[in-house]
Amino acid sequence: MTRGARAAEWVVLYALSIVVALAISSVIVKATGGDWWPVVEALVDGSIKAPGRWGETLGIAAPLLLVALGTVISAKAGLINIGQEGQLLMGAAFAVFFSFRIGGPGPLNVVLLLLFGALGGAVWASVAGLLRFWRGVPEVLSTLLLVFVAVQAVGYGLKWQWLLLADEASRGNRNLVSEQLAKDNRIPRPDIFGNEFPITVYVALALALAVAYVLARTVWGFRLRMLGHNPRAAQRSGVSSTVYGATALAIGGAFAGLAGAAMFAGGGFSFGNYRLVPGFSDFIGWTGLLVALMARERALPAVVAAFVFAMLRTGAGFVNSTGVESRITDVVQGLLVLALLVPPAVVFLRDRRRARAAATERV
Amino acid sequence: MTGTGGSDPSVPAVQLTGITKRFGGIVACDQVDLTLYRGLVHGILGENGAGKSTLMKVLIGLVLPDEGSILIDGQPRTIHDPLAAAALGIGMVHQHFSLVDQLSVWENVALGEAGKLDSSGVRRRVAAISEQYGLDIDPEAQVGTLTAGLRQRVEIIKCLRRDPHILVFDEPTSVLTPEESEQLFSTLREVVAAENRAVVLVSHKLDEVLHATDEITIMRQGRVVDRRPTTDADARSLARAMVGREVSLRSERAAFGLTEIEEAADVGPEDGQAAETVISDEPVLRIEGVTVRGRRGGARLLDDISLDLRAGEIVGVAGVEGNGQRTLGDLLSSLVPLDSGQVVVNDSVVRTGAPGAMAKAGIGVIPEDRHDSGVVLDMTVAENLLMVDPHRVARHGVMDKGQVTEAAQQMIEEFDIGCSGPDAPLWSLSGGNQQRVVLARELAADPDVLVAAQPTRGLDVGAIEYMTDRLRQTAVDGVAVLLISSELEEILELSDRIVVMSRGRIVGELSHDDANLETLGLLMGGSEA
Repeated sequence: MTRGARAAEWVVLYALSIVVALAISSVIVKATGGDWWPVVEALVDGSIKAPGRWGETLGIAAPLLLVALGTVISAKAGLINIGQEGQLLMGAAFAVFFSFRIGGPGPLNVVLLLLFGALGGAVWASVAGLLRFWRGVPEVLSTLLLVFVAVQAVGYGLKWQWLLLADEASRGNRNLVSEQLAKDNRIPRPDIFGNEFPITVYVALALALAVAYVLARTVWGFRLRMLGHNPRAAQRSGVSSTVYGATALAIGGAFAGLAGAAMFAGGGFSFGNYRLVPGFSDFIGWTGLLVALMARERALPAVVAAFVFAMLRTGAGFVNSTGVESRITDVVQGLLVLALLVPPAVVFLRDRRRARAAATERV
Repeated sequence: MTGTGGSDPSVPAVQLTGITKRFGGIVACDQVDLTLYRGLVHGILGENGAGKSTLMKVLIGLVLPDEGSILIDGQPRTIHDPLAAAALGIGMVHQHFSLVDQLSVWENVALGEAGKLDSSGVRRRVAAISEQYGLDIDPEAQVGTLTAGLRQRVEIIKCLRRDPHILVFDEPTSVLTPEESEQLFSTLREVVAAENRAVVLVSHKLDEVLHATDEITIMRQGRVVDRRPTTDADARSLARAMVGREVSLRSERAAFGLTEIEEAADVGPEDGQAAETVISDEPVLRIEGVTVRGRRGGARLLDDISLDLRAGEIVGVAGVEGNGQRTLGDLLSSLVPLDSGQVVVNDSVVRTGAPGAMAKAGIGVIPEDRHDSGVVLDMTVAENLLMVDPHRVARHGVMDKGQVTEAAQQMIEEFDIGCSGPDAPLWSLSGGNQQRVVLARELAADPDVLVAAQPTRGLDVGAIEYMTDRLRQTAVDGVAVLLISSELEEILELSDRIVVMSRGRIVGELSHDDANLETLGLLMGGSEA
């Protein structure tokens, strides 16, 4: 199939599944007494059209992209990391701890807190890595279950002032929140055409390019992919599944942790307003996993996928103001998420069937 | 019997005309004609990739042809799927079994039947068929416990149960012992002679086509190149037609499994190759008292094996499959660690089981199952060629695209790998060309020892000839070659020295001159020589 035909096929598949999702949504909205056209308008307004909204969307796309990039790396090694939500939360917690208990003022601190966030995510993912390569515990289980441990651990940290909790003067009503990050410690959010977003958007974009390059062109990326495709051939060729696998998991976690730190230090009102609060991760980890899925575990398509998922999130915010019941808008959002994931699944299944057919046709 | 009697014998059972099938740019079948008559066994001979299997898949409805017509008993038909083929009385015994190991023989036969399961009826039918055709089998036996030959019987019974009047056998002997093959052919004869069925035997083995058929169609590169009655055919002319050129007598003999083994063994030294080869005195590879236990139960997969390999010699490891050869190959591929003993290459002990340790020490391996540890199907040809040592085309850890392509292109040319280019995905290559990728890569690493496990399995004549020549040349170039094979002919032909494995032990060692089928057979069976 030519490149053009393949691209056209993607467009058709996405158009089709989104139309179907919208059609079902409109039926549901109508059936519950709403009006479906305002819903569509609200989705577009909320994600890009209304003033300042595409900046908001970019600000959400950045952590989604970071999480997805980490997922891509662990997936290439043949590992299924689904614990980004927890790794992200741990990253945020590490960044908070560094900001208020170790670091000082100034821009250098911003860089350090981001690195600390990455470290937090990496440490959390490495717990799963350790279990996997030392004891053979499947990483699918351990990464998932560690999410719930992370939520509890961070909740615990928010109870103690020497860990994450703010002192009483800076929190009201005995809330379990961290202190607010000082202005000179925040990630800059320059204003462009009335849209404001943190410069971590650029960092995420650069990292997407870097990940694509490392995977495609470096010896390390080559050997990582080899491990993912055929562990025995990799073992024979000198790729240690333990070293490469554990590293890939740790890097995957680091990306999620970095996303958490970036949300804390540059997320503004979208994410806790420079404070760590319970529920801080707000499904960004889970959604980032879906972004990677939609991008079929490739770094550059993840850029687009991250933006689309961010649009869905910011758009849905506006749908709530159309008077349609919020549970219905949740359903609409869920249908659209499904619509985004159907085409990659269809193409994956078909490609695999074709490859199999090709393999058996040759005798 | 239904479907077998009553038809006019002069009307062909099957007439395929101008069948053409393309897969992408490759023409698998090009204007192929084929006519099958009742009461005759028709052989279709050709190398791997000649289009035999595709043609048969057209006949049983697995592949729709792009052009051409199909007449069954004189009636034009379109066969869309295997069910339609079955309805027309066409049955196929596939090369690869599709049996459920956990089920019994009769349950496997009953699988795929519609409607209510009539267990006693099926049992009776299985018993009747097995008696009628001399396919002795216990209907209650669990398929997983059966030998390859008996499993194939189950497949044949499955096929005969539908009472087809056109029967296709696709490479039926690739998994059988000589006796089992012999039995199969007599069954075949019976089916044809007594019941007036039409039978197709697809094969790349000359001797069995000569032995078991009435008429032969020879295919090459998707076309029919020759067709003649078997009585007018001899091995040499068939081989020439099949390959399209002269093949050397020796590899021909090995490839076609001609049975004059003693003669084959005699040819060895005369060839002069052995004389040229300088075998050093110092061993390059020393396997010392190696024991490997299985994961569960602790059964010994390798039991106190000791073996020396010197530069320039080919040592053959003979044995019935499943007697530790695979573990030996895995051990030398850094895939299993030792329980005791050691492996020494060039006087330094290798850390067995450590990733890449064997490759680094200078051991190249052509694995028994290349898809298991030999290649990565989802990566490109170039990537597969550079798997073991990507650093030689990289600077500071970054692979140089130009160098990658250049190095790959060079190997593709040197080893004549048939592919659309360095960036072709490996799965798009035929088995023989995948094997060449493995060979090219392992030799490019300039090994001191080359382990070749079942290196010619599933390959066609040309590829076998190429592989044998390469192995011999590798030894002449001063590499110690360990040839693990269950093909005795291959071992006798190539090896300077032969060891025999049985139950994970080395039970005997013979020089090339002392070895013959009988002594090897005795040792393989576990008797002391």
